[in-house]
Amino acid sequence: MAARVLSRCVRTLSRGAAVFNRCDVSAAAAAAALSLSRDRVFSHLAAGHKPQLAQTPAGTQWRRYGDLPPLTLESIRDRVLYVLKLYDKIDPEQLQVTSHFMKDLGLDSLDQVEIIMAMEDEFGFEIPDAEAEKLMTPDEIVQYIADKKDVYE
Amino acid sequence: MSNPLRGEVIRLYKNLLYLGREYPKGSVYFRERLKSAFLKNRDVTDPEKIQKLIHRGEFVIKELEALYFLRKYRAMKKRYYEPEH
Repeated sequence: MAARVLSRCVRTLSRGAAVFNRCDVSAAAAAAALSLSRDRVFSHLAAGHKPQLAQTPAGTQWRRYGDLPPLTLESIRDRVLYVLKLYDKIDPEQLQVTSHFMKDLGLDSLDQVEIIMAMEDEFGFEIPDAEAEKLMTPDEIVQYIADKKDVYE
Repeated sequence: MSNPLRGEVIRLYKNLLYLGREYPKGSVYFRERLKSAFLKNRDVTDPEKIQKLIHRGEFVIKELEALYFLRKYRAMKKRYYEPEH
């Protein structure tokens, strides 16, 4: 980048010098014009590059690097339901956000442990056993994950 | 439900499930066997018996760890040395 700026400066300077040589003005005037033209080059560069960055919409320019898109309650619910639908002992048609794993879906406590493990894998954090026991509906899981990940809207 | 050993049993189940993910015959096979093994003893209520079964589960964990260790050792040996015969 620096090399490109430098070469452009030099090119503009020499062009300016040629113009002034042809016009046959004094050396002092040429030097003044050179410094002027250098200023112009930089201001031109600055003016030429800044709007380019500013023009791009902030959304596309924003980089997340390794970070995932921010969680929302909506996306958490979708992912929880998606994991539950993939679980082989749950009938996807019976599944509701409020359905109780044992009473409505006919699972046992061991299945519930497996579900919690699947959630841990999906969201990448560990759920302690004491709290995992209480999570009995998809809705409760969503609430718990939202609490842990500081998602409130 | 309110058995104090319930947490222990669930922890054991969870640990075994984690270990079973790399089981040579596949995690699905392991999970089915594990589940049937736990369901077989679902009616046990005597704390001493439960404690005994938990110890058995911990023994199985040790066996699994040994199995994985051996598998890793064999794989390494195969890569570093010529087969003997």
